[in-house]
Amino acid sequence: MSKLLNLSLKKMIVFAVTVLVCSIPVYYVIFTKLWQMELDEHHIILTDEAGREDSYLIIVILTGLTVLFLVLLLVGFILLNRSISKRLWKPFYHSLEKIRHFDLNQREKPSFEATEIDEFKALNQSLDKLIGSSIAAYNQQKEFADNASHELQTPLAIVQSKLELLMQNQSLTTEQYAIIEETLKALSRVTRINKNLLLLTKIENSQYMDRATIDLSALLEETIHTFTPFAQSKDLELSSAIPPGITLEGNRILVEIVLNNLITNAIRYCTPQGGITVNLSPGKLVIANSGLEKLRQEQLFKRFGTTSSTKPGTGLGLALVKQISQRYGWEVRYRFENNCHYFTLAFQS
Amino acid sequence: MKILIIEDEETLAQSIGAYLSDESYLCEYAATFKAAMDKIDVFEYDCIVLDLMLPGGDGMKILSALKQQNKQDGVIIVSARNSLEDKIEGLQLGADDYLTKPFHLSELAARIYSIIRRKQFGSANIIEQHELTINLQAKTVLINEQPVTLTRKEFNLLLYFISNKNKVISKSALAEHLSGEVADMMDNYDFVYVHIKNLKKKLQEAGGGNYLKTLYGSGYKWEV
Repeated sequence: MSKLLNLSLKKMIVFAVTVLVCSIPVYYVIFTKLWQMELDEHHIILTDEAGREDSYLIIVILTGLTVLFLVLLLVGFILLNRSISKRLWKPFYHSLEKIRHFDLNQREKPSFEATEIDEFKALNQSLDKLIGSSIAAYNQQKEFADNASHELQTPLAIVQSKLELLMQNQSLTTEQYAIIEETLKALSRVTRINKNLLLLTKIENSQYMDRATIDLSALLEETIHTFTPFAQSKDLELSSAIPPGITLEGNRILVEIVLNNLITNAIRYCTPQGGITVNLSPGKLVIANSGLEKLRQEQLFKRFGTTSSTKPGTGLGLALVKQISQRYGWEVRYRFENNCHYFTLAFQS
Repeated sequence: MKILIIEDEETLAQSIGAYLSDESYLCEYAATFKAAMDKIDVFEYDCIVLDLMLPGGDGMKILSALKQQNKQDGVIIVSARNSLEDKIEGLQLGADDYLTKPFHLSELAARIYSIIRRKQFGSANIIEQHELTINLQAKTVLINEQPVTLTRKEFNLLLYFISNKNKVISKSALAEHLSGEVADMMDNYDFVYVHIKNLKKKLQEAGGGNYLKTLYGSGYKWEV
């Protein structure tokens, strides 16, 4: 990678060197001609040896002078270039630095330095406009997600209540009941997706900001205790190694969501009669479950990245885990080894 | 028993009313903040189902008004807002319970039942149904005067059925009642079956009638 300014400097240096180097033979020819003319005019005849000595002298002096001027020229170029470019490109580098530190999540519009140069002024104005509309679009999208999921809740409640009323109908056949139940099941999935979307938006909007020191060991034990019946009902072996007293900083609700989602996934996607292990050590939580093939890593933590109609999940569980981890600077990783899915959460203990 | 349903979404209010009025409940409706305030000023209710976002005002203010007037009405908040702050504020202002939309009608009925029992009977909170005697305070069950030992989950299930008499209840509603969101996340309601089977067996072995019916293969009903 090269800087914009060095690019022009390099060309100039190459040009200057070429010109000066080419000038050496030209000078030589002219000087020898002049020297010969002087000798002829004064009827001086040199021996061949003396003539050779003179021409060597001329070449040495010419080369020496050329190199001297070349060095002077180069030093001048570099110094001038440096001082000009510093002044000339200052607003550009300033704007560049501002954009580099711009974070859409913070939604803080960078302020660009005023400049007299037309091009840079135009650049800053365009950047300003671009960033402004990005922020507006981002806010709009967030607000939309928030409002939409909020507004959905009441119609969902209506549909659910109507279906449950219909369920009370005395003349219902088994077949009709089955249809109602299937519908309710799909509805509960929509409800869950909606809840998770709302949660994601809330986290993005910087809610759940309060932090506390959480006894992760105790919380994890509790979570595993809650989920054990579900693992058992699927004939899965759930084992854990949880040393006491490991803590982490964060919001309790969010930490619970991370643990619940990771363990739910492990149980949900474990192969039949497979095993699940939960290992906690200072700064690291590893949840593993047996599986058949490697998951698509790049899709894994994206919203709706892995959803399909055959899977019961909401497609948002790992996106939530990722979002929460990002907030606290934790790292969540996935790897597949020995027919096991490993999810690792690295945090500051 | 009089119940006031404060809910601006008319169809939802009607669903709740239709479900509850089969019991011994008499339901009244208020769709706006003002209508609700007018009603609570004049009448007393055994339980109020309160939506927080109402045209004309915040439902929380109705709670404060009830408290100011020293009313003893039970209140259950039913809201689309699912934040911890709202829950805490509502409960601090004197609400008895908080339910997030969407909810199962059977869950709402169970909670209303429990609020009314607590308000009216206090420590002498005993339900009697034929040979069955349930002490809600001590969490004990007697059949023909003989104690029956139930697990906590079985006891909860029994109470849920009693408060939804003659209603068809889906397995998912029962699962959610027993395990909350966890059951929902797992999408697996089979564990309910085990608890129901055990409850049924224990009641019958102690000489209780066969009230708990399975319908359509996966629905349940407490028939009296």
